[in-house]
Amino acid sequence: MPDTRDPQLLKGVLPLLVLRLLTTAESYGYELVTRLREAGLAQITTGTVYPVLGRLERDGLLASRLVASSSGPARKYYRPTDDGAAHLARAEAGWAELAAVVTRVTSGPPEPTSGAIDRIGAGTEDRRV
Amino acid sequence: MNDRSTTAPTRTERLRLAWYLQRLSWALQDYPGRERRAAVLQVQEDTLAAAADVGMATAIDELGHPRALAERYVAQLDRPLPRWTSGAVAATLAAAALLYLGLAYAAGALETLEALGGGSVTTYPLGGEVVLTASDGAFSLESTVSWPGVLLVVAVAGVAFALASRVWRVLP
Repeated sequence: MPDTRDPQLLKGVLPLLVLRLLTTAESYGYELVTRLREAGLAQITTGTVYPVLGRLERDGLLASRLVASSSGPARKYYRPTDDGAAHLARAEAGWAELAAVVTRVTSGPPEPTSGAIDRIGAGTEDRRV
Repeated sequence: MNDRSTTAPTRTERLRLAWYLQRLSWALQDYPGRERRAAVLQVQEDTLAAAADVGMATAIDELGHPRALAERYVAQLDRPLPRWTSGAVAATLAAAALLYLGLAYAAGALETLEALGGGSVTTYPLGGEVVLTASDGAFSLESTVSWPGVLLVVAVAGVAFALASRVWRVLP
């Protein structure tokens, strides 16, 4: 089944998803990518997630720590900072508002505004002339 | 995670990662220096960790082309970057073009001198002394360096650098 998601939509919400997943449980980069895939973003790659991790860490929204691993080099685990948690709360509230508007507009029949009704009426009169 | 999880990267795999990181660093050449080093280090650390899970080949393949990855890092800055490399190339080309124009003028003057039967001419463009001599099919050109001439080259190269690099982008 082809992926019909607009990459621009994902670009806007990916920091939110990353912060939310890392709030649930800290992860290293590749583990986070697999969690995003399991959540439904099957096509997402490390090349998309790493720059977002870098930005969130640079902005002080994520902290990281190196954890020794028995199966390879030390892994860099990311978790949200207090600023990151506050940012996530704001982002989720903003997303909920936007999602409500989008759902309302896309799920119901279009309701013409009074201005639109006026324009339709004017068009009808024009045709009569 | 698969059975590659306990396999340390081979020398070849480390070389492949190093080559990828080098290409990424080149693609990020206009990225702010400290942040560029941090980005490349992050990719290195996370890719080594991913390689322990899925193998180095897959870990590198999933990063995508270095240029595409660099563009994603630049996009995360949310501000346009100056293009220092483009500026340097434009400045070099502008200075070379000035030099070419000066030499073309001198060559034309020498051919004219020869057509007139030879001789020597001294001119003072931009305050510098230039002596052109043509005699018996041999040409010679002597010149001194003048401050106005140097300033002209520096000014032209500087303007070309500023325009091509979009130097105003350093302003907040």
